[in-house]
Amino acid sequence: MGPPKKSKKDRGSSDKFAKKRRAEDEAYTQLVDDNDSQDCVSEADGVPGAASKNAETNDENINTDEYGAKDYRAQMQLRPDHANRPLWVAPNGHVFLESFSPVYKHAHDFLIAISEPVCRPEHIHEYKLTAYSLYAAVSVGLQTHDIIEYLKRLSKTTIPEGILEFIRLCTLSYGKVKLVLKHNKYFIESPHPEVLQKLLKDPVIQKCRLIRNEGEGFIQGTMDSKAITQFGTKLPATSDNPAEDAASTSTATTAGAAGAPGTTAEGAATTVAVPEDITDFYEKIDKEEEDEDEANLKTVSFEVAQEKIELIQKRCIEIEHPLLAEYDFRNDTNNPDINIDLKPAAVLRPYQEKSLRKMFGNGRARSGVIVLPCGAGKSLVGVTACCTVRKRALVLCNSGVSVEQWKQQFKMWSTADDSMICRFTSEAKDKPMGCGILVTTYSMITHTQKRSWEAEQTMRWLQEQEWGIMVLDEVHTIPAKMFRRVLTIVQSHCKLGLTATLLREDDKIADLNFLIGPKLYEANWLELQKKGYIARVQCAEVWCPMSPEFYREYLTTKTSKKMLLYVMNPSKFRSCQFLIKYHEKRGDKTIVFSDNVFALKHYAIKMNKPFIYGPTSQNERIQILQNFKFNAKVNTIFVSKVADTSFDLPEANVLIQISSHGGSRRQEAQRLGRILRAKKGAIAEEYNAFFYTLVSQDTMEMSYSRKRQRFLVNQGYSYKVITHLKGMDTETDLMYGTQEEQGQLLQLVLSASDLDCEDEKVPGEPGYRPGGSGTAKRMGGLSSMSGGDDAVYYEHRRKNNGNVHPLFKKFRG
Amino acid sequence: MVNVMKGVLVECDPAMKQFLLHLDEKLALGRKFIIQDLDENHLFISTDIVEVLQARVDELMDRISFPLHEKDP
Repeated sequence: MGPPKKSKKDRGSSDKFAKKRRAEDEAYTQLVDDNDSQDCVSEADGVPGAASKNAETNDENINTDEYGAKDYRAQMQLRPDHANRPLWVAPNGHVFLESFSPVYKHAHDFLIAISEPVCRPEHIHEYKLTAYSLYAAVSVGLQTHDIIEYLKRLSKTTIPEGILEFIRLCTLSYGKVKLVLKHNKYFIESPHPEVLQKLLKDPVIQKCRLIRNEGEGFIQGTMDSKAITQFGTKLPATSDNPAEDAASTSTATTAGAAGAPGTTAEGAATTVAVPEDITDFYEKIDKEEEDEDEANLKTVSFEVAQEKIELIQKRCIEIEHPLLAEYDFRNDTNNPDINIDLKPAAVLRPYQEKSLRKMFGNGRARSGVIVLPCGAGKSLVGVTACCTVRKRALVLCNSGVSVEQWKQQFKMWSTADDSMICRFTSEAKDKPMGCGILVTTYSMITHTQKRSWEAEQTMRWLQEQEWGIMVLDEVHTIPAKMFRRVLTIVQSHCKLGLTATLLREDDKIADLNFLIGPKLYEANWLELQKKGYIARVQCAEVWCPMSPEFYREYLTTKTSKKMLLYVMNPSKFRSCQFLIKYHEKRGDKTIVFSDNVFALKHYAIKMNKPFIYGPTSQNERIQILQNFKFNAKVNTIFVSKVADTSFDLPEANVLIQISSHGGSRRQEAQRLGRILRAKKGAIAEEYNAFFYTLVSQDTMEMSYSRKRQRFLVNQGYSYKVITHLKGMDTETDLMYGTQEEQGQLLQLVLSASDLDCEDEKVPGEPGYRPGGSGTAKRMGGLSSMSGGDDAVYYEHRRKNNGNVHPLFKKFRG
Repeated sequence: MVNVMKGVLVECDPAMKQFLLHLDEKLALGRKFIIQDLDENHLFISTDIVEVLQARVDELMDRISFPLHEKDP
C-alpha cells in the first residue's frame, strides 16, 4: 500500500520533501499569516496508528520470475469450482476481479465497499485492500466476519492467512463506537458493551463523561431509526405523514435492493454456474443492511460533555477506536429546520442515489467523501444531501465563480430561493441573518487579515452557528492544514466531501479519510459512460514532429526555453489549427488549453480567437463564455489553466491541449472533466467528445504526456496515438507552412524573455506575482525564484528505473 | 591521392538528423563521426561509431518515454 507509507516517510526525515510540502501549503494559505512551528507535528495528528499498516510488504520473500509475476502457489489453493468465482486475492492485498463474470455485480458492489479501485479497464479490475478502505467499509456497516466470509466465497482460491490477519487487524477496532448527537447532547454509542467498558477504563475519557445522576450506568437504547430517507422522486407519493413516509421509503429500498438480486437470478438462469453460496450470501448481506435500518439494534451509550468532544476524539484515535461521527438530524430539535425540498423535477440517477444511501444509510447522516467524475452531477448530490438533512448548510468551494454556480444549482434543484441562499465572497456579500444556506470559498473562511466590517459580522455569525451539514467541494484541493483551520472555525455536525479525483501527486489524500471521513462511494467512469450519464470521450495523443530548426535549438538551449520551443513548434501550431478547423466544420464547440501564456496569446491572436487567462477581467470572461455558449460564430476559445476546475462549459465537446503542467495526473483528469458532461441528444454508443493532447515528438513532452495519462488509463480510458493527421497535407491555408514563416516564429521564441517561458501562475501558487510585473519583492529559495517548486506537481525519482518489463526491453546490439 | 573511408548511410527524420548533428558538433561521442551531410533525411557516417550511436539514441528514447505500468513508489 503506497500512500500512507509514502506520507510517513515524507513526514519523518527527508527535508527535501518537507520543503516542497510547505511550498504546497503556502499555495493555499499564502494570505494566512500564521507561522505555527508545529507544522510537522500537527500533520500527523488525527490519523490512527493502524492507518500505517500495510499489506504490500506481506509478500517480500516471494519468488518473482523475470516478468515480475509472483509465485503464490504455496499460499493459495485453487478451489475446484474456481471457474465460477470471480476473484483472486493476492497476499499483498491486491484483489483482481473478472468483470465478465456472472456474479460481477455482487463482487463489484462489495469490493467498492471494502477496497480502493486501482485500475479498472474493461475485463479485469484491480482493487487494493488498504487500512483506509477497510475503515470505510466498517463505517458503512460491514462487519469483520462478513467481509472475510464473503471474500472467501467470491475467491477462486483460498484466502491467504496474511490477508485475513490484515483485515481483522484493520476492522476489529474500527467502527465499534460512534459519536452521536441526539437532542443536542453528545453520546458515545456502541452495540458492544465491552468496548465501552474498555473506553471508560481510560482516565482521559472518564473525565469527559457527563454523569447526570449518581451511580448511573450505561444508557440502554435501541437504534430505532427509520429506514433510509427517500431521495429524489422515485415514487410519486410523498406525504407529510412521517409514518406513511417511512413505509413508502422502506418499500423503495426493498425495491431498490430487489433490483440487484433480480439481475442475479437472471444471470444465474442463463449461466446456471453461479455457486449458490455467493448469491445466498449476497442476499443475506443485503438483508442485513436493511435489518440494520429496520430492526432495533441494542446499543449502549453514555453521555459526554460537549466541550470535551475534541479531546475525546483525539484520545479515541490514540487508543485505536476512532469515533465515527453520526448526526441524528431527525432528532435534533435545537437547530431549526430550514424549509427546502428537492423540486419534483429533480431526479437522481441511480449512482447518485446509491452514494447518498451510503451516507444516510441508517437514517442518520455520516461524514465522508463521495467521488464522482466531473460532469456526473456532484452538485445535485450536494444539494440533495442538504435537502435531506434540512438544517443550516454551509457550502465551501474554491473560487468565486463556483460560488455562483452552487447558488444556481440550489435554485435549480431545490425549492430554495434568493432569500435563503447567502453568498459570502469578496465580491458578493449577502445578508446572512436568517438564511438557511451559506455558500463561500475556503480562502474567505481561513482569511486572517483584516476584513471589512460587513465581512467581520458575517464571520462572527458563521462561527456562532451550529451547522447541520457542511459540503466541501473539490475537496482534494485543500491541504490538511487549511482544512483543520476550517474545522476550528466552523461547527458542523456532518461533513460531505465531493471530488472527482481523489488523487494528489503528494499522496496526502489519505489523511482526508480521517479528517473528513471515509470514502463513501466511488463511481466507475466507464460504467457511467456506457450508460450515457457522462460523455463518451475519445482520448487522443497527437504526435507533432519537431521542425528541424526548432529541434536544433531545443537541443542546445537551457531548460526553461526548451519548454517554449516545444509548445511553439510550428507543426504543433498547424495541427492545432487543422483540428480547430475540422471540428468547426462539424459544428463542435472547442476549448483549447495552454498553461503557457506566451503560447496562449500567440496561438489565439494568430488564429483570431478569444482567449481567457489570469488577468482577464470578470466581465470580459463572462462575455466570452456567454458568446461561446450562445453565439454560433464563436466556436473556439483559448483558455489558460484558470479554467481547469469548476469552469462549467456544458456545450464544449472538443478539448485540445497544447501545453500542460508537467506530468500532473490531476490536471489531465480535471481537464477531461470539462467535456464530460453528457451531451444532449447524443448516442451513448458513439464517441461524442474528443480530447486531444498535442505532443512534440522527441521532446520531454512525450514523457510528461505519458505520465499524465496514468490516472485516466486506470479509470479504463484508452488513448489513441495519432502520428499523422489525415488530410493535413492537403489543407493549404494553414499557417507557418513556409521555411520563412517558421524562421520568424523561431526568432520570436528565441527573443522571448524568461518570464514568457514560465507557466501561468494563478493566485495562491507560490510564484504568483500580483499585477504580473516582475518588480514585486518576494522571499524564496533559489529554486522558487527560478520556478523550481510548484504547487501541485513535482517529480519523485523512482528507484527501480532500470527495471523494465522484459517484454518491453529493446533489442540492442 | 585517394582516401577510402567506410561509412554507413543513415536515413532518419529531419528532427533526428538534428540530434545527430548536435552530437557530432558537441563531440559528445568523443569525436566527429559524420562524413557527409547528404540531404534532409540522409547522413553518411563512419561505420565504427554505429554501435555507440545506437545506444545513445536508445537512451534518448528511454528518457522521453515513461513506463505506464510501473508500480507506484
